[in-house]
Amino acid sequence: MVTTPLLSLEGVGKSFPNGTVALRGARLTVMPGSVHGLVGANGAGKSTMIKVIAGAHAPTTGTVRWKGERVVWRDPGAARSAGVATIMQHVPLAPTLTVLENVFLGSRGPWRLPRRRRGEFADLLDRVGYRIDPDAEVADLAIGERQMVAILQALATGAELVVMDEPTASLAEGERQVVFDVVRRLSAQGTAFLYVSHFLDEVLSLTDRVTVLRDGTVVEEGETAGYDEDRLVQAILSEAYAASGVGREGRRAGRGASEEGERPRSTGRDLLAGERVPAAPVAAEAPVLLSVRGLNSPAGVRDVSFDVREGEVVGIAGLLGSGRSEILHAVYGADPRARGEVLVGGRHVRRTPRAAVAAGMALVPEDRNAQGLVGAFPIWKNISLPDLPALSSARALPSERAEGDRARRAIADLGIVCPGPDAMVTELSGGNAQKVVFGKWLYGGARVFMLDEPTAGVDVGAKADILELVRRFAQGGGAVLVVSSEFEEILAVATRVLVVREGRVVAERPAHETSEEELLMLANGFDAGGEPHAA
Amino acid sequence: MRPRLLAALRPGNAGVVYALILIVGALTVLSARLGRPSYLSETNIVNILDQSSLVAILAVFTTVVLISGNFDLSVASVAAFSAATALSLVGSLGLPAAMAIALGAGLVCGVVNGVIVQLVGINAFIVTLGTMTAVRGLVLIVTDGRTVTAKDPEAQQSLIALQAGYWTVPHILAVVGGILLVIGAILALRKSRRGLVLAGAGVVLAALSPLVGWDLRLSKPTYYLIVIAAVTWAVLRYTVIGRRLYAVGSNAEAARLSGINVNRYKIGAFVLNGLGSAFVGVLFAAKLLAINPTGLQGTELTVLAAAILGGTSLFGGLGSVLKSVVGALILFTLDNGFNVLNLGANYQGVIVGTVVIVAAAIYTIAGRQRQVKRVRESQAKAGEPAPEREPQEALR
Repeated sequence: MVTTPLLSLEGVGKSFPNGTVALRGARLTVMPGSVHGLVGANGAGKSTMIKVIAGAHAPTTGTVRWKGERVVWRDPGAARSAGVATIMQHVPLAPTLTVLENVFLGSRGPWRLPRRRRGEFADLLDRVGYRIDPDAEVADLAIGERQMVAILQALATGAELVVMDEPTASLAEGERQVVFDVVRRLSAQGTAFLYVSHFLDEVLSLTDRVTVLRDGTVVEEGETAGYDEDRLVQAILSEAYAASGVGREGRRAGRGASEEGERPRSTGRDLLAGERVPAAPVAAEAPVLLSVRGLNSPAGVRDVSFDVREGEVVGIAGLLGSGRSEILHAVYGADPRARGEVLVGGRHVRRTPRAAVAAGMALVPEDRNAQGLVGAFPIWKNISLPDLPALSSARALPSERAEGDRARRAIADLGIVCPGPDAMVTELSGGNAQKVVFGKWLYGGARVFMLDEPTAGVDVGAKADILELVRRFAQGGGAVLVVSSEFEEILAVATRVLVVREGRVVAERPAHETSEEELLMLANGFDAGGEPHAA
Repeated sequence: MRPRLLAALRPGNAGVVYALILIVGALTVLSARLGRPSYLSETNIVNILDQSSLVAILAVFTTVVLISGNFDLSVASVAAFSAATALSLVGSLGLPAAMAIALGAGLVCGVVNGVIVQLVGINAFIVTLGTMTAVRGLVLIVTDGRTVTAKDPEAQQSLIALQAGYWTVPHILAVVGGILLVIGAILALRKSRRGLVLAGAGVVLAALSPLVGWDLRLSKPTYYLIVIAAVTWAVLRYTVIGRRLYAVGSNAEAARLSGINVNRYKIGAFVLNGLGSAFVGVLFAAKLLAINPTGLQGTELTVLAAAILGGTSLFGGLGSVLKSVVGALILFTLDNGFNVLNLGANYQGVIVGTVVIVAAAIYTIAGRQRQVKRVRESQAKAGEPAPEREPQEALR
C-alpha cells in the first residue's frame, strides 16, 4: 500500500547566523493519522526541527514536503493555514481572555461571533471527549487545563498535523491520561501527531513510529513496537555513555507492586536506578532537624505537621494542585499568609524567607527562571547571592575574588557545562541552570534543603547528577524535602514519602515499602486498601 | 573575570559617553565655524555642569529607583513642594530647621510612594502619577497659588551661601592623583594587580601637577552632584546593598527566595528618591530665592530622559548612575548648544526627542548584538551548541 506521507523532511539542515549547526541532513516522515514520536537529549535538535515544521525557522538546506508537495513556509502563519498546529512547551495563551476566545484566537473575520463559536466549541469538545467551561478565564485554569485549551486551539484551526512539544512535562498523572486519550482518539479520527517527549514510556505506549535525534542527525527511525526503553536510551545517548556501567538490577528491589506494573514512565530510569542505593530509613535516634507543626495557609495548606531527621530525604508526593509546592513555600516562609510553627534544630524560625535562609533553609523553586535565577547576573553573582555577606569584607563589600572562587568551585563540583563563571545564566541549558540554583545553596551552611521539582525540564544525564546531589545533601547531614510529580523519582531518592492531597498529608510510607502504584492510589484519594504496604 | 577596562570602554557599554563627546565635538566645530565664542571655553563648560547639576542629581536617584524595578514620576512635584516649604519657613525658623523640614517632607513623600507601591501592591506608574498630581496640589496649597519668595535678607544670605558661588580645588591633578594612589594602595594590599596600575597612574598625575598647575573651579551644585553620584555609584558597585538592589530589580521573586527583604530595598529606593528630590528642591529654592506654583513642572520627564539616555532599563536590574549623569549632560549640552549657536528654541524639542529615541534604539540593537556575540563565545569555549534564544525585550 502506498500512501503519500503527510509531512516529510528530506536532508534538512539548519545552521544559525551565530554558527550553531542545529540540524544536519535530518529526515522525518509522518504518515496521515499516525502518532510519530520524536526523542533526543537536550540540544539534539528537537526544538529546531519542530520550529522548521512550524514554519518558525526556514531550513538552511533540504526540503519540506507537505502531502507530497514541496513547501516553503515563511512564517508560522503559513504552516498553520496549511494544517500544521504546533503546541509549544510553554503554552502561549492570552490569560485575560476566556477559554472560548482563546480557542478561536486564530480565526479570521472581524467579529467575535460568540453564538456560532459556542456551537463549534461544543462539537470540538465532543470530538475530543473532554469537558471545560468555555467562559472560564484562562488565567484561572490549572496548567493541565491550559494544555487542553492549547490542544483545542490547534484543532479549531482544522489542523491535520498537531506537533506537541513536551505536552506532559508539567502535568499530573490524571491530566496526562486525558492528553493521551485525546491523542489516541483524534489519531483514530485521522489527525496525525508529532509527539516530542522526554518521557520514553509515553513515547513507547503512545506512538506508532519513533525518530531518534542526536547532534542534529537522525540516528534511528522505525516502528515503535520494535523498541524498548533500553534501546531508546542507547540511541538517545551516545553508545559510550549508555554502556558505561549502567546497572540493570536493583531497580525493583523492594518494590513489589510495580513488578507486574505497567510500563514505567521515566526518562532513562535505568540510569537513575544504576546509582540507586536502596534507601534505608534513617536511624530513629537521628536528631530531628526540621520540624513543622500545624501549618495552614489559604494558598492550600491544611494542618500539615511532620519532622525531617538529619540525613533523611523526605519525598512529597501529590498530584498537581494537591498543595505540594504550597507546602514547601509555607515551610520556607515564602507564603506570607501561612500560619504555623517551623523549627530548625529545635529553634523557631520567623515566617520570612530571610529568617529561613538565616536558619539554614534553602529552597530550590519549581520555576528556576522566574524564581531561582537573576537573569541579568552571570553565574558567579547568582551563586553568591544568598550568602553574599559571608563572601564580603566586613560583611558589606563583596569580594569578587571570593565569589569567583566559589563559582568556580560550584562549576567543578556540580559539573556545570559553561564557558566559565562569567557566563550569563540565561545562556545555560535547563540542567545546567538548575545546577546553578543548587550551587547557590551548596556552600553557605544550608542544612534543610527544599527542592521543588528539581529535575523538571532537565535531560537524562543532568537528571542523574541532580539526584546524586540530593543524596549528597542528605549524606552530609542535611535534611531534604523533595517535591516531584514523578513518583518514580521520589522513590529513587527518598527515604520516606509523604503523600499529600488537598493540602493535607494523607499518608506516610517508608520509601522501600511502597511503590509507584500505591503512591498514585493514595494521591488520587483511594486508600491502597488490601495492598500489603506495611511490609 | 573578563578584562573589565576593555569591556567598560566598548561602545555597547560606554556609548553614552561617546555620544556626549560627539555632540560636544560637533558643537565646538559649529560654533568655531560660525565665529561664535569658543564652545569649549572654561566658562561654558562650568556653566553646562552647573545647569545640569540639579537634573543630574535627580537622575542619580531616579536611576536607583529604576534599578530597583520601580518607577517614580513624582520627583519634580516633591522637589517643588520641598522648595516651597523651605522658602515659607526659612524666614521664621532659619535655614537649618527649614531645610530639615523640607527634607523631611520629601522623605515622607518617598515613604508614601514606597509603601503604597510595595505593601498595597499598586503599579508604581499609577501611584507616582497620583502623588505627582497630589503633591503638586500641596504646592498650590502651601503657596496659595502665588510665588513664594524669601524676603528676609538674612534668610536670603543663608540660601545664597548654600548654592551660589564657586569652590576651587587647587592642583586638581595632584588631588586626583592622591586619591588614585590611596585606592591603588588599598587594592594592592589586597593583592589586586589593578591596584598597582591605579597607584602608578596616581603618582604620574601628581608628578604632572606642578607642571600643569590646573585648578578646578566649579559651582557648588556641581560639587554636590559629584559627591552624590560618586557615593551612590560606589554603593551600587561595591556593596552588598548595591548587589542586592540589582538582584531585586532584575528578579524580585528569586531575590526574595534567596533571603533578601525585597520590600526594604524597593521602599528604600523610593525614600532615597524622595529625600534626593527634596534636596534638589532646596537647592532650586536657594538658586531662585523664589518658587512659583508651577516651578519645576515637567522636570520629571527630563530626568527620566537622562536615565534612559544613560541606558537604564525601565524593567529594572540594569543601569548605572554615572551614565545617567552623562545622559543629563547630553540633554543640557544640547540645550546650551542651541543657545550658543542661536538656533532658536523651536527646534529643540524635535532634536532632543530624536536623540532620546535614537539612544534607546542603539541600546536595544547593541544589546541584541552583544547577545549573539556572547552565545558565539560561549559555544567556542564550551564546544557545544548553545541553546537557542529569542532576542530579549527592547531596552533590557
